[in-house]
Amino acid sequence: MTGDAFWYEAAQVVGITNALNVAADTLDGLEAVDEAGAPAEVRALFAEMRDFYESETVPPGFRFIAHDPAYAAEVWAATRHAFADHCLTRRLKEALAFAVSVTSRSTSGTVFHLSELRRLGVGPRGVMEIVGVTQMFSSYTKIADTLQLEPDMGGIAPEDPSPPPGGIPPGDSALR
Amino acid sequence: MPTVRLRAAAEYPPSSQKLFELSRAWFNYDFVEPPAMSRVMAWDVEFGAPHGRAMKRAMGPGEFTRGEKEMVAAVVSGINACEY
Repeated sequence: MTGDAFWYEAAQVVGITNALNVAADTLDGLEAVDEAGAPAEVRALFAEMRDFYESETVPPGFRFIAHDPAYAAEVWAATRHAFADHCLTRRLKEALAFAVSVTSRSTSGTVFHLSELRRLGVGPRGVMEIVGVTQMFSSYTKIADTLQLEPDMGGIAPEDPSPPPGGIPPGDSALR
Repeated sequence: MPTVRLRAAAEYPPSSQKLFELSRAWFNYDFVEPPAMSRVMAWDVEFGAPHGRAMKRAMGPGEFTRGEKEMVAAVVSGINACEY
């Protein structure tokens, strides 16, 4: 996993997971959308989610943001794309989302992504592996922050010289 | 700027040098000086050694590869807003 494409995908998963967790964990004061009485576009959106997750579960945050169906549809499109198999597998993306949720103390996100991990075939040992990494790096990061250590390991990984998808390699800029 | 003076590897006792060798092997990278975190963990081997073994056990290949776990570690560091 040395190319930047892997890391762009990981960043998308982190961002959208955090966005959904923020809504799911804090909007209790906002009434969740009543699906039975919801507009057809909302019901269709929820059906698409159930299809994607092969479950009756709708990611909790969407029940709040679906009050604006057009907004929810765009967030869902980004979510679906972020979690689909591309360079990274959906299984690893769920592991990342689980780690994000545990680290940010999101109860709803932790429960949701743990169930997704299990659905995708990750066993108790695999879950414990992600818990272990999350816990260890929650320790290292706080030790580093307490001592205000400065980054000194950036040179380990080589820089990826490739352009963005569909783009032009740096050396070929004269072809523009 | 670090809140402590980071000691050069040469200042550490022989008992700590083993941790630096393990660090070099773990990263498979020939550092001019061991990373700051390695030197911090070597300050007190009674903490650093078991912490390092726990990390190694957590990061070893299992249901997830080491590369996948490195990505999880990077994500956790990002959420914790840790620049290091």
